[in-house]
Amino acid sequence: MPWLVVLVALIGFAFIAIPLVGLVQQVPWGNLWTDLGTPEATAALRLSVICSLWATALSVAFGVPLAWVLARVSFPGRSIVRALVLLPLVVPPVVGGVGLFYAFGLKGIVGQYLYDWFGIQVTYSTAAVVMAETFVAMPFLVITVEAALRSMDRRYEDAAATLGARPLTVARRVTLPMILPGLIAGAALAWARALGEFGATITFAGNIQGRTQTTPLAVYLLLQSKPDIAIGLSVVLLAVCVAVLALLRERWLGVG
Amino acid sequence: MRTTMRLWVPAVVIVGLVAAGCGSDSKSSSANTAPTTTTVAKVTGSIKVSDAASLTEAFAKIGSDFTRANPNASVTFNPGSSGTLAMQIQQTNGVGIDTFASADEDNMKKLVSANVIDGQPVVFAKNKLVIVTKPGNPKHIKTLADLAKADIVSLCGLTVPCGQYAAQILQTAGVAIPETKVTRGVDVKGTLGAVTTGDADAAIVYVTDAKTAGAAVTAVMIPDAQNAIATYPIATLTSSANQATSRAFIDYVMSPAGQATLKSFGFLPPS
Repeated sequence: MPWLVVLVALIGFAFIAIPLVGLVQQVPWGNLWTDLGTPEATAALRLSVICSLWATALSVAFGVPLAWVLARVSFPGRSIVRALVLLPLVVPPVVGGVGLFYAFGLKGIVGQYLYDWFGIQVTYSTAAVVMAETFVAMPFLVITVEAALRSMDRRYEDAAATLGARPLTVARRVTLPMILPGLIAGAALAWARALGEFGATITFAGNIQGRTQTTPLAVYLLLQSKPDIAIGLSVVLLAVCVAVLALLRERWLGVG
Repeated sequence: MRTTMRLWVPAVVIVGLVAAGCGSDSKSSSANTAPTTTTVAKVTGSIKVSDAASLTEAFAKIGSDFTRANPNASVTFNPGSSGTLAMQIQQTNGVGIDTFASADEDNMKKLVSANVIDGQPVVFAKNKLVIVTKPGNPKHIKTLADLAKADIVSLCGLTVPCGQYAAQILQTAGVAIPETKVTRGVDVKGTLGAVTTGDADAAIVYVTDAKTAGAAVTAVMIPDAQNAIATYPIATLTSSANQATSRAFIDYVMSPAGQATLKSFGFLPPS
């Protein structure tokens, strides 16, 4: 009964598409530019761009080695480590924020020493936003890069090694170029996830205008007082996500 | 085949939501539309109450007392910031919600002028605001002016009633806290949470929230001359499919038993 499948598929599609149409048809296009130029909006957008790029950079810096270890090193408890690393994909972000607080807050298991020894308070800082975003975004990078590492043909690495290339040269000249599409896809997904982060951010970093109030937080708070700005900001986030997905499909996944 | 069975659940929810245009509640048992002149008569049916976050605990108690008195009725709550709740009601014409209890009069007035309120709202409680700090008040915050010296102060968003009351209080006291030190909660529970589960030094919340938080905070009273009085109105929505049940719930809130419960949570009487 293919028609039944198509019908159910259409309902599924409508369920996802209708809210997006609803959002777009509310956009005050005429004032969009003015709305996005208000101090609240520019502060939130600026902070979102900076923090999400930092989060993506940190995800790549730590996520690629992590993915490599998970893909290539066999050690007891590897599946447990992988499950833990991927947990932020499914854990409610607010719960992640609470976890970050008990780790890096002033009374946290790490945070208390940061404060006692170095006088560093992480919570309510822009760094806390970056940490919250990295926490939720890094798993996307790890899962994508690990898949790329597992699916690549390792004989190229072996060939390079037998021809006398040192491990670092193999990694730089053979492995990295081969997993590059996966790495870029993972980084783009991580970036989009970081950009949209709400729950962990408001729980761990708070909601301070210009310091920790990223775009999603601003959207939520402005929705009652200045809905036009909130919807304008929402549509910016939506456009960025659409761009990321379009780029991924056409350039790097070869599915388009 | 247990997995296949469970996969049906979200599928049914999605189909239901799309088909029903999101949120038309079951119209069951609305037969009981007789006016509630006889308060002894038991009501039936289920109602959904959108209530200000500060009412969460008191209304949970009142709700369970109400359903004990009316075993065939059920009450579910949808707590949040009064501003958000009012906006949701306005945008959906109140479909799916039967009763609205606000932490300020402005949001209720907004709904009255939008013609989604049945009859006149009644004021059922009042509240005052208070400073809360970490237990033992390690930063020695004694007055509103001391808040300006704290590192991080948690206040409600400026569109949330408790945020407006806090702004009013600080203005009366002539205290200006730089916005770079203020983290804004999306409702009063979030604002309180920044002190109980967070590193904020202090927050301005309702007396009732401080009472509910117990030993997790230390309360620092705000003198009456500087304090604001929060007024809580409640009303039935015109869209309610169970107006009789909603009115009976409001009657219960206003009854001596309901008022005693509110008092036990620290609320002030309506007049």
